[in-house]
Amino acid sequence: MWKNYSADYIRQNRASGYSIMIAAFIAALFLSFLCSLFYNFWLDNIAGTKLEDGDWHGRIAGEMDEDAISMIESFANVEKAAVNTDLSNGEQVVVDICFYNKKTVYQDMLQIVNMLGLTEEVCDYNYQLLSLYFVRIPGDQMPRLLMPAYLAVVILVCISLVLVIYNSFAVSQNNRIHQFGIFSSIGAAPGQILACLVQEAFLLSILPILAGMFLGVVFSFGTVRAINAFTETLAGGRQSSFSCSPVILIIIFLLSMLTVLISAWLPGRKLSRLTPLEAIRGTGEQQGKKSVFRRKKHFRILSLLFGMEGELAGNALWAQRKALRTTSLSLSLAFLGFMMMQCFWTLSGISTFHTYFEKYQDVWDVMATIKDVKIGEFDLADGLKNLNDADSCVVYQRAEADVRLPVEAQSRELSALGGPMAFIKDPACDEGENLVVKTSIFIMDDKGFEEYCRQIGVNPRLDGSIIWNCFWDSVHSNFRYPEYIPYVEEGMDTVVLQNSEVKYLQEAYQSEGAEQEGFAEIPVLALSQECPMLREEFGKSEYALVQFIPLSLWRQISGQIGGEGKELKIRILAKTRESLETLNMLEEEIVEMIGPDYDVESENRIQEKIDNDKMIEGYELVLGAFCVLFAVIGIAHVFSNTMGFLRQRKREFARYMSIGLTPKEMGKMFCIEALVLAGRPMLYSLFFTILATAFMIKASYLNPMEFVREAPVGAISAFILTVFAFVAFAYYLGGRRMLKLNLAEALRDDTLI
Amino acid sequence: MEILRCEGVSKVYGSGDNQVVALNRIDLSVAQGEFVAIIGASGSGKSTLLHILGSVDKPSEGKVIIAGEDISAFNRTKAAVFRRRKVGLVYQFYNLIPTLTIRKNILMPLLLDKKKPNREYFDQVVASLGIDGKLECYPNQLSGGQQQRAAIARSLVYRPALLLADEPTGNLDQKNSREIIDLLKLSNRSLKQTILLITHDEKVALEADRILTIEDGKIIRDEKRGGKALLKEGQS
Repeated sequence: MWKNYSADYIRQNRASGYSIMIAAFIAALFLSFLCSLFYNFWLDNIAGTKLEDGDWHGRIAGEMDEDAISMIESFANVEKAAVNTDLSNGEQVVVDICFYNKKTVYQDMLQIVNMLGLTEEVCDYNYQLLSLYFVRIPGDQMPRLLMPAYLAVVILVCISLVLVIYNSFAVSQNNRIHQFGIFSSIGAAPGQILACLVQEAFLLSILPILAGMFLGVVFSFGTVRAINAFTETLAGGRQSSFSCSPVILIIIFLLSMLTVLISAWLPGRKLSRLTPLEAIRGTGEQQGKKSVFRRKKHFRILSLLFGMEGELAGNALWAQRKALRTTSLSLSLAFLGFMMMQCFWTLSGISTFHTYFEKYQDVWDVMATIKDVKIGEFDLADGLKNLNDADSCVVYQRAEADVRLPVEAQSRELSALGGPMAFIKDPACDEGENLVVKTSIFIMDDKGFEEYCRQIGVNPRLDGSIIWNCFWDSVHSNFRYPEYIPYVEEGMDTVVLQNSEVKYLQEAYQSEGAEQEGFAEIPVLALSQECPMLREEFGKSEYALVQFIPLSLWRQISGQIGGEGKELKIRILAKTRESLETLNMLEEEIVEMIGPDYDVESENRIQEKIDNDKMIEGYELVLGAFCVLFAVIGIAHVFSNTMGFLRQRKREFARYMSIGLTPKEMGKMFCIEALVLAGRPMLYSLFFTILATAFMIKASYLNPMEFVREAPVGAISAFILTVFAFVAFAYYLGGRRMLKLNLAEALRDDTLI
Repeated sequence: MEILRCEGVSKVYGSGDNQVVALNRIDLSVAQGEFVAIIGASGSGKSTLLHILGSVDKPSEGKVIIAGEDISAFNRTKAAVFRRRKVGLVYQFYNLIPTLTIRKNILMPLLLDKKKPNREYFDQVVASLGIDGKLECYPNQLSGGQQQRAAIARSLVYRPALLLADEPTGNLDQKNSREIIDLLKLSNRSLKQTILLITHDEKVALEADRILTIEDGKIIRDEKRGGKALLKEGQS
């Protein structure tokens, strides 16, 4: 039927074809961009995994000689086998193996160890790398969701695209119901009609799909470049190259074609199943009319606001509602996505400012974290303090223990609120006379501790603890704006710490030799409501009593109390605090000093802020691109709809003109339609965004007025105005053609042609 | 020889209180080469009967046998192929495809079957219908009478067993109506084409060999022209 019918039809109804071509182009563009990007992410993941875990699929560790390694190398599916010199030692040899066919790695490895006379236990697998090739090794407990997630996103996008572009096909096909009714009446079988429609979609879509694919790959290339430019500035960022293989191009083409064909097949199937009578009688316009009358739809608001033109515009939109479904859906998603994203990032920014940048702005410039080292074993503290650019340096480690507080020691304010046990969900122990509560001990190097003593006006000593005498009153305040009351009464001389592993028995403490069993009584040097300048949050976790002790004291009691955390932290304040270069240099110096002996991670305040801002910009860019894409789909459909005005709506407007509607009034109708078409999704989105934002503000305990002051009105307004401008332009173009309509010609009945 | 037989054909639309009986147990037999006119008031069921005979619609009850085949049992595809090969349909509003030339419109039933037309027969049909000079025109370049001739040519191009015409002159002036009826009569005589024609114009009906009168879904009168009535009013 292509040769005898479709080619002529398409030639004579270009607008209808354009709508399909635009839909196919958008589908291919989106899929090509996504698939190409995912393909590169996939390659990058493989490269990253190889870099991190090594380029091997299976590993055998055992007693093996040269012959055994030769045997492995000669195994049919083995691509290469190499001895891992880093992991091998005198007794056992570790061989890393790569396979040609990764699907059979597990079976092949079993065969190899069998041949070598070894057991299965000597085998190890690069689970992460193999999972990237869709190979799961039995016994791998990790979820490995990356590849399924990529596939799920691609499938979801395909389904979404089918739903979105389906309408373009439905509109084009429904315009021809009458013609297919004629075909059916002269003997065209349902299969022939369906084949004709799908064939048309196929031929119309080939070029747009190829163009969309090309552009999608270009966008993806640009995105990879942009990501590279972004990661270049991040600490530890790795550069990735852009790849595009013929296989992925074929996959993109097939996916795009499948999406387009399913989108054409769905309405085509429906149309082909109409009986000739239904098809000949039931044109789209008649169905629209029926619906309008059946539903008795009135447009009171539009009528009230804009008079009769408002009522007519409302009716016209109602009659076109199926054709405009894609537009409404796409614009709603675009508006909702953009507004939510802007509000979320604004809230997130406020929250980060409060909890991080504002709070810790003055307490650090460079932080270094060393894992699995106890503070007593770290011997570079003095060297760090002597760095040229460092103004102050504190080495500290956190330890968790319990503290025994006599009931009378707790402050009057805290007693009035019911004591700490009223706040702690799972109290350690309440022995009547003594309370046993958690304590967070910050062990500071001696010089750092003495500095803190001077900061709060206490004579520096290295034999006692300074208690941060603050208890978060969570009854009268929230975590965002906390209020504190004193934890203990003034005049506390000593505090009893106990190992949190020890049973909390009064008898144990009172018994002879209690210190050997995990208790330590230490002097209290001071109670203070001022804390040292450390990048830590104090007192929120389980309402623990926070105290600071010098390393010298900790050396004496650490045997009994224990509980040091795994991380040792170094906080440095620079002499010049506002220069990124100085902080970067200082950070480098610290890493150079500590790096050779310890596994250190470092960060500096200004770079951290820049990275954080860039990260948010990156997220905004990606999410914003999705919103823009949805808006483009919606706007493209508005254009495709208004370009077909002359064909679809000439009789409707001819009737209006015949009863005296002036061009000005028709223009007003178009304006109202454009306003409603873009305005309704905008209003719905605004409503849901306000609801969601109110919920987020409540959940994050932020002051609503703070959000109102920072609300992203500018960005959202710009986005809304841009979309409105495009919709208005589309209606202007369609309306201008319609206003040139010849009344006499338009009133001719199509069925007479 | 019998070409068409209906046995107890009924057609009911809707259900419950909204039920409308369009055809009520119709029995009918038409011999090959007969020219039958069906007349009746609007809503009497004549178009419904024509659609069922043309396999465009299905009866709710009963059998329709055309050229030995029970078309009431056909599925959609079989019905479409049957329509293409055995039935020619002519409508009041011509129903030509506006984007195709007259030639392609006429040849469409053959093209759907991927068959080449018999050149001689095609030329004979278009010449006898007087549209041989209009074959490369599009429908909107032709008058109503010419479009209806093209529609008749399309219905005859496959040499169908049965030609069904639904008010073919309903949209034409007197001169064109006369010519169309003459052409139908000509094809009936020269090609031995069986024709069932629906009309509410008694003058047109009088051109047929046999006149069926339908009322409320029943054939109330079956009259042979030049002979006696096969079924008189009140006998149905």
